[in-house]
Amino acid sequence: MWVKLAFKLFAREFRRGELTIIFAAIALAVLTVFSLSSVTERIGLNIEQKTSDFIAADRRLSSNHNFDPALLESATGYGLETAQLLFFDSMLFANDELVLGSIKAVTSSYPLRGKVIVKDSLTSEAYEAQSVPASGNVWLSEGMFYTLNVDVGSTVEVGAGVFTVSKVLVSEPDAPFFSLSGNKRVLLNYQDIGLTQAVQPASRVFHRLLFAGTDQQLTDYYQWLKPQLKSNQNWQGIKDRQSPLGENLERSERFLLLAGLFGIMLAAVAMAVSAKRYCERQYDPVAMMKTLGGSRQVIRNIFLLHLTLVTVFSIVAGLAIGFVLQHIGANYLAQFMGTELPAAGLRPWLLSAFIGVVCALMFSLKPLLDLFDIPPLRVLRRNLGDTLAISRLHIAFSLITIFVLMWLFSGALVTTLILFASTLLVIVILFGLSRLLFAAGRKMGLRPGSSWSLAIATLQKRANANAIQLISFALAIKLMLFLVVLKNDMISDWQMQVPADAPNMFIINIAEQEVAPLQQFFEEKEIPHEAFYPVFTGRIDAVNDEAFARRVSKQEGEEQDEEARRGVNREPNLTWLTTLPEGNEIIEGQWFSDTSSDNQGEIEVSVFDGWRDALDLKLGDTITILVNAQQIKAKVTSFRTVDWGTIKPNFVMILSPNMAGKIPVTYFSAAQLQDKHTKAVSQLLQRYPTISMIDIKARLEQAQSIIAQVSLAIGFVLSIVLVSGALVLISQVQASLAERMQEVVILRTLGARGRLIKLATLYEFLLLGAIAGLVAAIVSDIALLIIQQQLFSVAGRLHPYIWILGPITGALFVAAIGYFMVANTMRQNTQGLLRKIA
Amino acid sequence: MSALSQLNVIQVAGLTKRVSTLEGSLTILSDINFAVKSGESVAIVGASGSGKSTLLSLLAGLDIATAGEIHLDGDALSTLDEEARARVRAEKVGFVFQSFMLVQSLTALENVMLPAELAGDHDAKQQAVDLLEKVGLSHRLEHYPSQLSGGEQQRVAIARAFIGSPKILFADEPSANLDSKNGHLIEKLLFDLNKQNGTTLILVTHDEQLAQQCQRILHIEAGALENISQGVTANVG
Repeated sequence: MWVKLAFKLFAREFRRGELTIIFAAIALAVLTVFSLSSVTERIGLNIEQKTSDFIAADRRLSSNHNFDPALLESATGYGLETAQLLFFDSMLFANDELVLGSIKAVTSSYPLRGKVIVKDSLTSEAYEAQSVPASGNVWLSEGMFYTLNVDVGSTVEVGAGVFTVSKVLVSEPDAPFFSLSGNKRVLLNYQDIGLTQAVQPASRVFHRLLFAGTDQQLTDYYQWLKPQLKSNQNWQGIKDRQSPLGENLERSERFLLLAGLFGIMLAAVAMAVSAKRYCERQYDPVAMMKTLGGSRQVIRNIFLLHLTLVTVFSIVAGLAIGFVLQHIGANYLAQFMGTELPAAGLRPWLLSAFIGVVCALMFSLKPLLDLFDIPPLRVLRRNLGDTLAISRLHIAFSLITIFVLMWLFSGALVTTLILFASTLLVIVILFGLSRLLFAAGRKMGLRPGSSWSLAIATLQKRANANAIQLISFALAIKLMLFLVVLKNDMISDWQMQVPADAPNMFIINIAEQEVAPLQQFFEEKEIPHEAFYPVFTGRIDAVNDEAFARRVSKQEGEEQDEEARRGVNREPNLTWLTTLPEGNEIIEGQWFSDTSSDNQGEIEVSVFDGWRDALDLKLGDTITILVNAQQIKAKVTSFRTVDWGTIKPNFVMILSPNMAGKIPVTYFSAAQLQDKHTKAVSQLLQRYPTISMIDIKARLEQAQSIIAQVSLAIGFVLSIVLVSGALVLISQVQASLAERMQEVVILRTLGARGRLIKLATLYEFLLLGAIAGLVAAIVSDIALLIIQQQLFSVAGRLHPYIWILGPITGALFVAAIGYFMVANTMRQNTQGLLRKIA
Repeated sequence: MSALSQLNVIQVAGLTKRVSTLEGSLTILSDINFAVKSGESVAIVGASGSGKSTLLSLLAGLDIATAGEIHLDGDALSTLDEEARARVRAEKVGFVFQSFMLVQSLTALENVMLPAELAGDHDAKQQAVDLLEKVGLSHRLEHYPSQLSGGEQQRVAIARAFIGSPKILFADEPSANLDSKNGHLIEKLLFDLNKQNGTTLILVTHDEQLAQQCQRILHIEAGALENISQGVTANVG
């Protein structure tokens, strides 16, 4: 039976290292897909969870009107967890002190995501609350304790109800980044709303429903909910545009996807090269077997069994290594993050195994078919069948497979198309360029007998093979450079958004007369702080004298209705400024001129571009804003982009400085407080009880830890891509090893010194690597520019340093790998080599 | 087929081989006619490019003729497809090549067993060991080709050629890649085993001395069979 022979041949070929690269390439493709789709799925889930913490849920529905109870009932029916929140203001009274507090009434399941942190007393340790305030109890933020002069255990009147203060409320996951509610926060049990009697039919209240569940449940529920959404109801998820981390999350997902695609692309190239090489190495044995009477059927069975075995082994190995790696990675991350990563499902296993099979089948099919066609006559005419090696069909097969794999993995046709087409273009350009370079090299007159001239002669001799080698090297280096630079850009972008010295405390509700003493206080205590922004709330009443409510309703039913509704219904925080804030960019019109500070002049307004589209605004429109009872008319003179990713106060509308003095305002600032400032802060709060401080330290740390986590994930993926790149280089060098051996033998036999050959080999690889590196650097920088703009919606920039880094690292990388592989050949004596190539 | 032709293990009639090149059709062999009796040793000699290797490839069914007939032990090769020709080779033919053509990943013993294994015969081990012993390599059974000298590799190839007791043995310049000492050793081995097994030997060589050891010599020149002469051992064999 042929099976025994097939197994014997397989074992030997495996031991001889003939199948190693194919094995490694399939295993790497499987590993890449598995680790990417599981680790990133796990990290993604965790990031999503953490980001969910910011809204205390996966999705939320907000409105200033009461919700139909059917909405909650239906959500439960869809398997979702729910919580109900009500925000309202009410007077609090204790120890003859009266203060207006921001009340948040919550049902017992709050929060669905994230933690509520509390303290048992002002001086004790903070910890995670396991429940919401019991009925009859309230939790107050620290500022309230000072203002009302109460302690834990005291009683306090909230509206008409009497409550016991049971805990200090340190933080809630969904506390707003920036709001005027400040730290006069009160957490109350939802059942107790009635006791306060503060919520009357005409009261200004804000209702919110929280939802948590699987993506499917959320989607199903949203499908049901969507047709019933009213214009004053706002559905929000973590990935929504104005969510501070949503944008970063999407970017990192795109990056991981891109990196995964590159990993697959590189593994596929390595697989295609090594499969072709393996089959070529089998031409002689197959011709021999046919000559010795082996039937086509038997030969086909033998090699198909080899393919099956190598596929199964490599998939198992890829999955095993991938599993261990992602396990270690997940453990490390869990330690690092102090949280357990959610488990990934079956998808990574199935997807990666499937991709392994597709990879193995598609890349080896054509070389194998060629192999089966090798005529027995090759035993006499040694080069017979060699022409089969350069097969357009194989190239076409490989390209289609790479495309399908990328598409399969990413599920994003457009991204795949862009990447694939640009890579194809790169290959064509590189092929032409490499031919030109080698032709130019031919004209270089070099001293005969030198290592350099030998290196150049070798390069020219294998112009075609070198062009292909150059393309693979350049492609590998390009993809690696591309990812390294993109990673650095992205991470530094994020770090810029959340710098280590970012303010961690927002100070709001500062009265005009308090600005100067506060400034002095900060300076005395050497507390770094930001400028003082004037802030006020206003209700947008009309645009061009057309009532605002009607404009909104016009948008109803349109595709962009959600975007349109988001935010425009609420009363925005407004400011006036003389200079355009950081992270804002004027895209239409002009920033306020100097004359706009003229107190008598027309008031101008600069509007966030998202609102321009939502409200159908144009330059020159007049917006009527209602501040208290005062009507302010402002002319739209510019539209701005706003970077919602930064942890900074961002305003949808900025008015011209001539607003100053027209309305009463409070001021806003931000400071960077450290633990040593704690005492000073309590002094401050006691001295200025109306000032509110919002501690965003925890939130900042959360954001920074997410960035660290994403950076780690990206680093992990990048290292896989680097290994894939190295594998391509190795497979290419290995493919030319036989020919090199022959050359070494000839040169040695002709008396060339070992040093000459070694140096020539080294120079050849240095040259190849440098050329590949240079081309790779140029192409990847241009591609980066396009991808950053198109895919990541960030302003791309050129990176001159990689134009130098590319050729240097290319030369070193290729030379190191090439030299290492060929060095072994050179250590053998000529006789031994002669036998090997006989 | 006549009684006379039945005695002939190889019968060649009007054999012509043409290939198309960029310059047009090129005739490599033209109207070759001869017959070889069972157990006979025949050398095919000629200068490089004369067509002797092409003739060997056609006789062994490795290639197909443009015109003419070859009967190999009764099988008309021109009527057989590649699979059927492979079967004929498996049953009746052994080979020795100039460049040894051993499978690098198999040991000496496994290389010798290869034809039998391809034919589905798994009891060939003892026969292979015996053959390797006959060629003086009983101590090298588990060695890989790369661990053997050129002469030893060719001895393995000879042992392989005789496994399954083929009726016909084709040898293509078997000693051309070896030094004279090893070359002579190989030639002697080949002829000795040939005699012991009663195999028909078709030997392609440009070495007149080696050719003379065969019973008959076919002289090929520019694709045509110039003459057939007797070797010095003609009357001995």
